[in-house]
Amino acid sequence: MKKKQTKSRKNNTLPLLFSIIIVFCMLATIVFTVARKISTEMSASAIQNLSESLDLMKGTIEAILSKEAEFQKLIAQELVMLENPEDFIQSYDRNSTMVRLTLILSGETEGVSNTGEVLSEEELDFSSGKTVDGLPISQSYMNYMGTWAYSMKCPVIKDNQELGTLYVEYIYDTFEESLPKGFYNGRAMFYIMDAKSERLVLKPKGMGERSAGHLNLKDFYRANDIWEQDLRIEVFECVKNGTNFLFYHDIRGKNSLNYMWSLNQGSLYMIGYVPIEAIQQEGRAVNQNILIVVVVMLTAFFLCCMLYYFNQRQQNKIRREREKEREIHNHQLAEALQAAQIASNSKTTFLSNMSHDIRTPMNAVLGFTTLLAKDADNAEKVREYTKKITASGQHLLSLINDILDVSKIESGKVVLTIEEFTLNDLVSSVDAIIRPMANAREQKFHVEVTGIQHEYLLGDETRINQILINLLSNAVKYTPEGGNIWFRIIGLKQRSSQYEHIRIEVEDDGYGMTPEYLKTIFDAFTRAENSTTNKVQGTGLGMAITKNIVELMGGTIDVSSEVNHGSIFKVELEFRIPEGRSIKKFWQERGISQILAVDGVKESCKNIQILLKETGVQADMASCFEEAMRLIKDHNDEKYQMILLDWDMMDMDGIQNIKKIRETLPNSVPIILLSVHGSEGLEEVLKLENTGILTKPFFVSACTEKLLEMQAKSEGEHISEDNTEENLEGLHFLAAEDNMINAEILKEILSMEGADCEVVENGQLAVERFISATEDEFDAILMDVQMPVMNGYEATRAIRALDRKDAEEIPIIAMTANAFAEDQKAALDAGMNVHLPKPIDVELLKKVIRECVQERNKK
Amino acid sequence: MRNRVTSIKKLAVVSLIVITLFMITACGAEDGISKNLLTSKEDNRKVVNMFSPMEKTQPDVENVARSASDKTVIMAEEKLNVKVEYITYTAEDYEEKTYDQIALDRARNNMDDIYLLNPDIIQTLGEEGKLMDLSGLDCAKNLRDVIKTANTVNGKLVAIPQEVVAYGLFINKDIFDKCNLELPETPEDFLECCKVLKENGYETPIGANRWWLETFVLAQAYADMYNGGDTEAEIEALNSGERKYSDYMRPGFEFLKELIDQGYIDAKTAYTYEAIDGEGPDFMAQKTPMVMAYWGAANTDTAYGATDFELQVIGFPTERGQMPVLPMTGFAIGAEAEHAEDAIRALDVMLSDEALQVYTETNKVISPSKNVEVDCVPALKPLNDRIKENTYVLATNASMKVEQWGNTCLIVRKLLNGATVDQCMEEFDKLQEESLSK
Repeated sequence: MKKKQTKSRKNNTLPLLFSIIIVFCMLATIVFTVARKISTEMSASAIQNLSESLDLMKGTIEAILSKEAEFQKLIAQELVMLENPEDFIQSYDRNSTMVRLTLILSGETEGVSNTGEVLSEEELDFSSGKTVDGLPISQSYMNYMGTWAYSMKCPVIKDNQELGTLYVEYIYDTFEESLPKGFYNGRAMFYIMDAKSERLVLKPKGMGERSAGHLNLKDFYRANDIWEQDLRIEVFECVKNGTNFLFYHDIRGKNSLNYMWSLNQGSLYMIGYVPIEAIQQEGRAVNQNILIVVVVMLTAFFLCCMLYYFNQRQQNKIRREREKEREIHNHQLAEALQAAQIASNSKTTFLSNMSHDIRTPMNAVLGFTTLLAKDADNAEKVREYTKKITASGQHLLSLINDILDVSKIESGKVVLTIEEFTLNDLVSSVDAIIRPMANAREQKFHVEVTGIQHEYLLGDETRINQILINLLSNAVKYTPEGGNIWFRIIGLKQRSSQYEHIRIEVEDDGYGMTPEYLKTIFDAFTRAENSTTNKVQGTGLGMAITKNIVELMGGTIDVSSEVNHGSIFKVELEFRIPEGRSIKKFWQERGISQILAVDGVKESCKNIQILLKETGVQADMASCFEEAMRLIKDHNDEKYQMILLDWDMMDMDGIQNIKKIRETLPNSVPIILLSVHGSEGLEEVLKLENTGILTKPFFVSACTEKLLEMQAKSEGEHISEDNTEENLEGLHFLAAEDNMINAEILKEILSMEGADCEVVENGQLAVERFISATEDEFDAILMDVQMPVMNGYEATRAIRALDRKDAEEIPIIAMTANAFAEDQKAALDAGMNVHLPKPIDVELLKKVIRECVQERNKK
Repeated sequence: MRNRVTSIKKLAVVSLIVITLFMITACGAEDGISKNLLTSKEDNRKVVNMFSPMEKTQPDVENVARSASDKTVIMAEEKLNVKVEYITYTAEDYEEKTYDQIALDRARNNMDDIYLLNPDIIQTLGEEGKLMDLSGLDCAKNLRDVIKTANTVNGKLVAIPQEVVAYGLFINKDIFDKCNLELPETPEDFLECCKVLKENGYETPIGANRWWLETFVLAQAYADMYNGGDTEAEIEALNSGERKYSDYMRPGFEFLKELIDQGYIDAKTAYTYEAIDGEGPDFMAQKTPMVMAYWGAANTDTAYGATDFELQVIGFPTERGQMPVLPMTGFAIGAEAEHAEDAIRALDVMLSDEALQVYTETNKVISPSKNVEVDCVPALKPLNDRIKENTYVLATNASMKVEQWGNTCLIVRKLLNGATVDQCMEEFDKLQEESLSK
């Protein structure tokens, strides 16, 4: 799937990339075509431009030559008129144009110049045959002034008779005046070349590189790196024919237009070069502008592509995230489906188990009921049968409770009831339940509390109890007889000063669990199944309930186990520490600020110290009796206001030792012994003055209670459990119950206890009956909750709302199949005194009624 | 990562906005204030024409010597807002007029403002009164005495050089080492070297041209006079005719004749060769182990500045050891120059200490200013050492009535052309007589 998507993405990217490349190529082609077109046009324009300039200069130079020739002819005509032309010549001052005039008379080979020199006809070379306006022009030569010159000869004819020839010498320097200053802004190279000798006869000032002083055409070629033979031949041919020639050639790294421009029918040539950039100054700017436009456009295009790319990337990312999310959803759905299937399977298995588990005790109930009917006359058998029926019924009840709990948790209806509790109560109640179970299986139950700083905490004690009972009862169940069970409460490092961080460990050395089972231990409707544990009865919901409650409390639960070696469950929870509680006062009032704790186990001593820290009481430690005695005596028996003594540490002489202490200390100093359950010899101890016993582990609250108890005892207050009033003899109850069977049972039970009960069918009737009753006619009302016409809550509220004295006081006891904590809370909120879940535990009912009645009587 | 992408996106958007604004702005037209479309300014700079030789340019090779001179010209142009126009001439072959002849013609016809002249031309033109007295220039105050002496004609300082040109013998040290030869000190050593080199297959051990062989002769002629003799008294004796130039010149000519006769110098080719152009390629190609040339040639890539072998420049072997020969070329201004004033100002800048410092540093030469001194290239060290020791021969001395540099050159050409030593000496005697008759 992923590969397919990647491939699809690649398939999307490639056309995009291809499109971009195509666009770039098109753009490049357009730019190239435009640039080439411009270049071609500019080249043509440059050639035209240069040609026109050269033509202009050619025209100028040829005009000069023409004028010179014309003037020379005029002088020749003038000479004809003169009697002595030679004198005229010699008297003629040289000027900037005609630097030398010579007349060689016919028949002579030499003539005297105006400069005084003698000129011979042989000195001048007219062999080229070139003329200017019909006057032969000589080859260029270096004249007497040290500059390049040429001469023209003009016949002096009078009456068709040639008198002689007038030679006039001109210098090329005169051309300079008529040529533009700085050809192409001084960047063009310009020479005038004598075509025959190929000598460069004039380089006008300001033209071309001034450091270049070329000698002749060959030198020009060499200096400018023009070596192409075919080119040279072509140039040679042009010069020979007197035609123009223009060619491109790089001169000193610059593309240049080189020219050979014929003057005066090819007797002279203008040669040189012009860098293209000098001709196309505007061309360069155009090119630069085109380049700028192209760069800007490309940049804009690139930026657009980039934005498009980022946009696409973002879209892809979002798409991927969505796909990922969808995948996760699918995965979750698949998991959910799987879980549902597993749950369904589990529930099927569960139902099958339940069917078995329910049928088994039900079978017992029905079977024994049959036997009961048969052996009704045999009282002993009847008692035995009823005992077994009761046991089966209780088992059925626990099964139903668990099932209901799970369904409640799963439907999210569980609400924690946060109240203050003490770890002491928690441990005591758990101990009270588990220890008998463990003892019944001859297991050793160890309770250890370490590192706890605060024992008064805020939490849902009932649910914590539930967790502990679940874990510990499992430990008892899955540990063979004679095994060990450890229950540890360990104080961990506080994450916040407002919370006590606790780890609860439940460890056993029982059957243990397989790794496969460990994976599903916290799933509902699973149960360890093997030949050993099959004997164990249970719903398999306990651990699921436990885990859910732990998580509801924001804690964690872990388990590790090894088959045949045992298991350990670790629950970590944080409980808020109640504010404003000061337990220092109790101790201060009793003047207890310093005690001595005697315990052989160092860890225990430390725990006592930590726990006492909150009370402000200092505890000295002694690890043995002898040390304790020494400490007591060292401080003249006055230092310690209380002695805590580990009973289990002492041997057979325990009682003697206590007596020794008592002899040393005054009777006002309480001695409290710490012992484990079932310690022997304690009966003797209780006879001693101001001495009490505390069950381990040590808790401050327990110690406080014990001190109070001892104080009361010493003050002679009689505290005894009133066992005489246990039965309900003579009491009169009003019961609201719509189920006639239940009503019958209730009635029978109460009558068995000597109480009388009047049953009504719904709440409305109950209210009415109560109204009609005389004051204190009923000792208590037993109220079902779910009833037709008016339910138990409404009825209770109605009764409580009645304007009569006993309406407020009469105990109303809820007796309902709604057995959840919420139901309990609802009952109390409605004004009921106690909530008793069905089925009715007779003993519990008796106890509750008695308490309520006693309470009312007290009032 | 996300932040980076966001930043890039923001940047891209901002760039697009900037580009758009740029394009919109570029579309706007600029309102001109003036309706006159002509914007070019006329070049009002004054022009000074300078006639100087120009070595042949070569593609992609810089002429250091030329560059050094150009730098001083540019300095003058910038300081004075003048434009110096170069005018040059180079003979195509030996049959054409020489640079010196053209310089002479141009100066006589007042064609240019500044001229770079060889010593004989300086003397000729100086005597003709065609050159301006430059002693009033500021730069003249810094000149070494030897420069003033050499360029003073009829009490006028008619030329000032940018460098003291020293001629010497350029030796391919690698070949000498290969042939186990020491650098020659005396004429005898030199002959021995030539002999060994010829034996080692170097057909013509000495490369020569028609211009510079006189240095050989002058070194032999005046080594004693300038180094140990009473120079002034001897010159006075020559000027008065008490002593003959030919007496001084004969040993040099005889020595040269022997070199020609032995085949160490090819007289035929030397007669037609232009300086460096003729004998240079063979020397660079290591076919010729020795040539004569001036100091600057050792610094210039267009001459012998970039050899593939170890170059050593020594003085000409004489009985007094290796002897540098110092002719004095120099810049002069035409007495009736068209732009005389600007030419004087320009020359004063070109020859100032500042300009000479630049020139000397660029060209690694001996400066005519006593205030400027720089190190020379290693090849020139032997020659420089001798000059520093004040051991040299002046190839030109304006106090001598017979011009030496040009005349000796011409007479040497006659020797090359087959004249005997006696005939050459007669030429000197003739020149001396002419000078005495003036």
